[in-house]
Amino acid sequence: MSTFVIGYYALLIGASCLAAYFNKRNIFILVFSLTMISFITGIIGGAPALRFITTAAGMLALAAGTSYAFREFLIIITPEGVSKELRTAPLTAAFGMFVIFTYALAGVFAPVIAPFGEAEVISSAFAPPDETMLLGADQLGRDMFSRIIYGARNSVGLALLATMLAFIMGALAGLLAATKGGWFDQFAGRLADVIMSVPSLIFALLMLSIFGTNLAVIVIVVAVIYSPRVFRLTRAVAGNVVVMDYIEAAKLRGEGTWYLIRREILPNSTAPLIAEFGLEFCFVFLLIAGLSFLGLGIQPPTADWGSMVRENATLISFGEMTPLIPAAAIALLTVAVNFVVDWMLFRSSGLKEV
Amino acid sequence: MGDILQLVLKRLGLGAITLLVVSILIFFAVELLPGDIAQAVLGQGATPETVAALREKLGLDQPAVIRYFHWLAGALTGDFGVSLVSGERVSAAISDRFVNTLFLATYAAVIAVPVSIVLGVIVALLRNTLFDRVANVLTLTSISSPEFFLGYILILYLAVKSNYFPAIASLSADMSFGDLLHRTFLPALTLVLVVTAHMMRMTRAAIINLLASPYIEMARLKGVPPWKVIVKHALPNAWAPIINVVALNLAYLITGVVLVEVVFVYPGVGQLLVDAVAKRDFPIVQACCLIFAATFILLNLAADVGAILTNPRLRHPK
Repeated sequence: MSTFVIGYYALLIGASCLAAYFNKRNIFILVFSLTMISFITGIIGGAPALRFITTAAGMLALAAGTSYAFREFLIIITPEGVSKELRTAPLTAAFGMFVIFTYALAGVFAPVIAPFGEAEVISSAFAPPDETMLLGADQLGRDMFSRIIYGARNSVGLALLATMLAFIMGALAGLLAATKGGWFDQFAGRLADVIMSVPSLIFALLMLSIFGTNLAVIVIVVAVIYSPRVFRLTRAVAGNVVVMDYIEAAKLRGEGTWYLIRREILPNSTAPLIAEFGLEFCFVFLLIAGLSFLGLGIQPPTADWGSMVRENATLISFGEMTPLIPAAAIALLTVAVNFVVDWMLFRSSGLKEV
Repeated sequence: MGDILQLVLKRLGLGAITLLVVSILIFFAVELLPGDIAQAVLGQGATPETVAALREKLGLDQPAVIRYFHWLAGALTGDFGVSLVSGERVSAAISDRFVNTLFLATYAAVIAVPVSIVLGVIVALLRNTLFDRVANVLTLTSISSPEFFLGYILILYLAVKSNYFPAIASLSADMSFGDLLHRTFLPALTLVLVVTAHMMRMTRAAIINLLASPYIEMARLKGVPPWKVIVKHALPNAWAPIINVVALNLAYLITGVVLVEVVFVYPGVGQLLVDAVAKRDFPIVQACCLIFAATFILLNLAADVGAILTNPRLRHPK
């Protein structure tokens, strides 16, 4: 028994006793179940397993602390109305916002942050990390860290572009279908059915095999694949608004369709649409990452997280973690967006769950 | 009973039409190529004679509609034409791989379905507790991770660092069944992780939705024990959403399987499709897409039919 193991259990048991004494039920259950789990993993894995748990718990605590501080920061700098909403945000949502903020910074200021260019060959292939290269070199001897930073700009930027295009197409068609109805509604509805009846990745592969893999094709194909989701949601939401009396009044005033959409319907259906934008971004981002991973997305030498994983995958068979970092970057952003969307949906659904 | 049969038949007819439309889409998408297939395959440097020869060999001198019906008739009998790159019959290239892919998907489904339904019900019963919150965060993380991320993590920890399972799922004909299960465990586990997360969340939502209905409240108020509320009152009505959830997620496996096969170098249809896309081997791409799309549509169809059969309310539309 090393001092680390003794200190570890002493801390956990002390903390659970304190929690029990002050009647903090949730904290007690959390800490005490962690103690029980540690007993089992400690017997099986020994001190290294306990060290792993300590690191994980420490990182979780750090993430929680950061999100708490970030939420307080946001509450202070935002105006009255927004800060009131932010106060109700759970820590997970605050964490999501913090991650999105960090990614945005990395993307916008990539050339300033990254020590080397994204296509700059600076050392031998798969060189190990040193002072100049934080994460070592990739399969061509380019700086891995710089490429990950640039990836924030390329991968996320492309996904954002495709999402916006999908959103504009889907929302416009949905709004038109809801206001005009008739043959356009039928036509767009059936078209959406057909697109949605083919799995998205399969559809994308079919289209990319035909039109080749350049950026414009990827953006348009991905936007077409995901616009039916937006179309259906917009049509449903706008369909509820269209039957309202004030729309009738506007129609009687003689307002045109475009005015109705822009001034009457859209302002009354923004909340679900914003949440949908977040979800849609996750789908698009994962699809493009998958395509890049298959070698059919963003083409080299542009730095992109999906293709970086594939190019450096051989390192994994030597027990190296580095190829997983870009993949983790993809996962982290998607999780972050999902956290924020979860909170938004929860808010707009008005606490429906029992 | 006549009503049910009619409803189911109607739904099946709709499914058949969807399948037909999708086949048209898959076939005519290739017609959108600038120039035609022969030109695209041979490239810019080809002489007019070679292009004309290939065109004749592929039957491109006939109008597209006639070729479509030939292709569709062939596809229905399992004949998808000839690969442009290797000259091999597409059906020969696909048949073994299709069995492999089916095996992998079934393997994953057999593990994922019971586990996720049980976990989903447990999480729904313990809703808003710490356990539920942790499960929520974990499933969300699993859904948000790209399949290749999960796959490589499993390779790193279970194959490279500890050597429990092989990292590459190579198959050979003379393997025993146990050996086969062992070799394909990591790809199956990757799929299980993704699908279980989806299924758990959807099962949880379905059960919570159900538990909020007034008749459950009534049962509770008249003093029925909690387990009986679940088994006798909630479960019969929960089958419809659960069947739906299962079928939808099996359909989700279809997309997941492509990436997972590439990660583990598993000899399945997904891998074949990705290779064919890179080589622009259109007959193979079309065949694979049709197979994936058909499976997807059939599973969605199964979900709808299952919902009609288990939910009497759907049989009497207002």
